[in-house]
Amino acid sequence: MLHVDVQKRLGGFELTMAFAAGDEIVVLFGPSGAGKSLTLQTVAGLVRPDRGTISLGGETLFDARLGLNVPPQRRRIGYVPQAYALFPHLTVTQNIAYGISSLPRPQRAQRVQEMIDLLGLHGLEERRPGQLSGGQQQRVALARALVFRPRLLLLDEPFAALDEAIRATLRQELLDVRRQLHMTTVLVTHDLKEAFALGDRIAVLDSGRILQQDARDEVYYRPLSRRVAELIETRNILRGTVLGSDRDALHLDWRGHLIKASPQPLPKEPALSLSKGQPVDFCIRASQVTIVRPGRPTRGAERENLLHGRVVREDLGAESYLLFVAIADSPQPPDLQIELPINVYYRLNLDTDKEVVVSLKREAIHVMAVDAA
Amino acid sequence: MFDIDLFPLRLSLQVAGLATAICLVVGVALARLLARRRFWGRDILSALVTLPLILPPTVLGYYLLQVLGRRTAVGAFLEDVFGIQIAFAWEGAVLASTIVALPLMVRSAQAAFESVDPSLENAARTLGRSDLGVFFTITLPLAWQGVAAGTALTFARAIGEFGATIMLAGNIPGKTQTMSVAIYDAWQSGDAALANALVGILTVTSVLSLLVIGRLVRVPRW
Repeated sequence: MLHVDVQKRLGGFELTMAFAAGDEIVVLFGPSGAGKSLTLQTVAGLVRPDRGTISLGGETLFDARLGLNVPPQRRRIGYVPQAYALFPHLTVTQNIAYGISSLPRPQRAQRVQEMIDLLGLHGLEERRPGQLSGGQQQRVALARALVFRPRLLLLDEPFAALDEAIRATLRQELLDVRRQLHMTTVLVTHDLKEAFALGDRIAVLDSGRILQQDARDEVYYRPLSRRVAELIETRNILRGTVLGSDRDALHLDWRGHLIKASPQPLPKEPALSLSKGQPVDFCIRASQVTIVRPGRPTRGAERENLLHGRVVREDLGAESYLLFVAIADSPQPPDLQIELPINVYYRLNLDTDKEVVVSLKREAIHVMAVDAA
Repeated sequence: MFDIDLFPLRLSLQVAGLATAICLVVGVALARLLARRRFWGRDILSALVTLPLILPPTVLGYYLLQVLGRRTAVGAFLEDVFGIQIAFAWEGAVLASTIVALPLMVRSAQAAFESVDPSLENAARTLGRSDLGVFFTITLPLAWQGVAAGTALTFARAIGEFGATIMLAGNIPGKTQTMSVAIYDAWQSGDAALANALVGILTVTSVLSLLVIGRLVRVPRW
């Protein structure tokens, strides 16, 4: 179990990090400059925090008050830095064996062989990093970090330098390797898809602080604030006012339309008040907005929160289309973004300028407190 | 032609060789310090190391003589306590050459160390190697081209050293007379034939030495 609770001032930047990680992948997700890499470096022992503590498996690695700071050499943490930092003058074998130079030769050879088997590096043993593809370099870096059986694995943007095609493969490999070795893993990324593909838990970082840390679905569907919703690319973030609530629904006013949302589990932090007249932000993922089929009787969930609008723009993706919809008599369209699988798009016979009726599923609406800023 | 005294050649090689060896050890340590550490007085140290590059060698030799001369406090102390004589001894020639050539080694090695990506050293540290181990397995091999170039420059500068050497070590035939000084001495005393011969010998020796050094410090490219 890793416990991190540190503060570090670096020029005008201030890092305040508190998180824990068990036998899982914790993803530190955020835009560049959020302090993700710096956090990993403090855990690896390469940057000394100003205040706080870091402990791993019950052993204290850093304690500012006690003046305790275990050097990186003795932390036994596998660290894969951004761009891998493979040693360019050493072969693949020498790179992998670098961290186990104190072992007797036969054991060293055996450990290196295990890593070559685990990561499928056969035939590349005598190559130097400059002669490897990006994906191969990534595997070698992982092998080098795992060969001395670390207690914790730190990965800094492990797939950022790779093509989309190979990323999916390597992500799956990483999940397989981690499952075999049962290792606490902290992974840093600015790629949303990667964060949600790999993270058991996700911490959303912005300007040196953690805005939210929760299980991946919790973060995805229930961002704590507008800023988190923006960072995780929630497309529909709307501002409304509380009208009141009854047993089944919370009633909101959004630009003169009544929107009913499922009763909300109230977060403690930041405090969310749902008294009448209270402005609130609420969001709904673009994939949770549905288009009601014309000429068909609507029923069930499809009938909730019906709004009339017009398609004003379309973004055509490879697997899904994104529609921008203006709600009738809207002052500043477009108002809603709807993501549709391509087959649904054609079944509904949609096109730009078409009039549509959309439905906001009650249970998909998530209400957030308005950010103090 | 065959009765040329080869003592100056032997002395020059000995002095330049020793000076290069000292510069290699001291210069690499200084270069590493200046390249990676930020500490109080770093700029002063950097300026001090570079100073011999801009001071005329005779001026430098004069300062050294004022500090280390046999009748100065430091010089007398060294001679009385340790039995080391610097001024007007071949050791003085080594010191003069070392100080004059050191900036070439430091500058060249420092640039090479600065070009080594610190993330490589950091990665090596997380893999359990001591700082010294990281230096010898990662930093030095990656900076070797620059250190090698510095070594060649240092030797070339040391074997040709004249101004600081003649001030500090003097011109004592058979004792402190290096090739450069011997050439000057021969020309001054009107022995053009000897001067020509010595010039020829030093030219060939210098070129050969650099070829040998180049071979010794060459590493395969990766």
